[in-house]
Amino acid sequence: MSFPWTNADALLRTRGRFGIHDERVPWSSLIVLTVLGGALYGFTMGSFSTVALLFGQETRDPPLRIFVAIFSATKVPLLLALSTSVCLPSFFVLNTLLGLRDDFSSAMRAILAAQGTLAIVLASLSPVTLFFYCCTERYSVASITNGVVFFLATLGAQVIMRRYYRPLIVKDGRHRLALTAWLMLYVFVAMQAAWMFRPFIGDPNLSVQFVRLDEWGICYVKIWEAISRFFTGR
Amino acid sequence: MPILREIDRLLRGEATSAESLRGGHIDIQTRTLVQAAVGLGAIYGAFMGMYAAFGETLNFGQLFASMIKVPLLFLLTLVVTFPSLYVFSALANTRLAPRDTLRLLTASIAVTLTLLASFGPVTGFFTFSTNSYEFILLLNVLFFGVSGIAGLIFLKRCLDSLFRPPEPPKPEEPMPSASEQKESDEGEEPEVIVVPPGVQAYPRPQPPRESPYATIRRNAEAERARTIFRIWTVIYGAVGAQMGWILRPFIGSPELPFQIFREGRDSNFFEAVLRTLGELMQ
Repeated sequence: MSFPWTNADALLRTRGRFGIHDERVPWSSLIVLTVLGGALYGFTMGSFSTVALLFGQETRDPPLRIFVAIFSATKVPLLLALSTSVCLPSFFVLNTLLGLRDDFSSAMRAILAAQGTLAIVLASLSPVTLFFYCCTERYSVASITNGVVFFLATLGAQVIMRRYYRPLIVKDGRHRLALTAWLMLYVFVAMQAAWMFRPFIGDPNLSVQFVRLDEWGICYVKIWEAISRFFTGR
Repeated sequence: MPILREIDRLLRGEATSAESLRGGHIDIQTRTLVQAAVGLGAIYGAFMGMYAAFGETLNFGQLFASMIKVPLLFLLTLVVTFPSLYVFSALANTRLAPRDTLRLLTASIAVTLTLLASFGPVTGFFTFSTNSYEFILLLNVLFFGVSGIAGLIFLKRCLDSLFRPPEPPKPEEPMPSASEQKESDEGEEPEVIVVPPGVQAYPRPQPPRESPYATIRRNAEAERARTIFRIWTVIYGAVGAQMGWILRPFIGSPELPFQIFREGRDSNFFEAVLRTLGELMQ
């Protein structure tokens, strides 16, 4: 078993056991990378109120603030795992319907590699997020920082996903359709999963909770309600 | 001094020759580069702090604070951004290992700070010539801008060399045409076979053309170098701008008291820029 760091480097460069033409799916390495990277960024993401506390800012439930970071460290890998596993059955059936079943292990490798890359890029941006947390007292700035970080991580994941998918698309153009369907379904599910697993950053003025059970619901309905309120003024 | 000799090699491009870069190596130690960055940054910091030290306020604290803050600004930004910068360069499949990536980025900082330190005497000269805080502020912004651009050009050039695939072999000298051969053979016995002038005696060998695949690869490599450069500039620039903002004051406004850092954690470079622009528009 090599170090996660060596594996991360090989994955980013798609070399060694993560080579594009390698047939095997390095399950354990990819899962370890996703969990470690996700947990590291989750901890950083949830440390907003702890940083605020260290700078002497007033927060609700001061002794419990570190738990927001610990909860987020659990929730980010959970978010990635849940979103992937919920979408996989549909993706499997779609691949079978399109006659791409023989390449499914390669497609699976692409999906897991993208998750691993997302987690690695997130982890590498942890110091940047922490630095911006040190420079602000406002929750909105923390949200924007995390939005930018997730956007960059998604770009990184896309690079790897397309690198793995390129030979598949050359082999059979229908893989392009499968890839587009996966991306749409994944985004649709991941947004709801992220809504369910809130809070990740943790507003210092709100209580410490693992999830906000009192504000459960469908994020798309909430977005629609917000848009309606904006236009109707009610 | 060995450090200055090394920096001189760096500026002359001897430490970053195309051959060594193509192999993924930079022929200079990171420790030397960091030591040089600290020294050169401190030199410029001293010149920058002269305005507060020898101006109306006679504040030597600001001079010492600036000597520490200028190198800190560049090196702390590198510490914060290095993991992500490395991850993005690995994603683009550079030949650079983590240590060489660190060397390349530190080398770029050293180039920036060398140019900045060389501007130091000019800053010092103008500091003694004027009391205008605004002028000194603009002068410093100008010098930081010019030095930053020089550092970026150095980085861009290194990245281009890194990504450039090996040159195709040069074609051999073409065979001379009949007329050329005739001129050179003047005075000797004429050839038996006479070829009319303008017609080649032998088919001129064509230089080997680059295959379409090699052209596509060359363009893709250049595009990758550009992408990494852009991502590095955005991440380093965004963190660097905010780092500069929280480490201020560097010059020390005569209207404000001396402070190591300005009060109020909740301030942001980007917001300040937007607010200033908004005020200008009104």
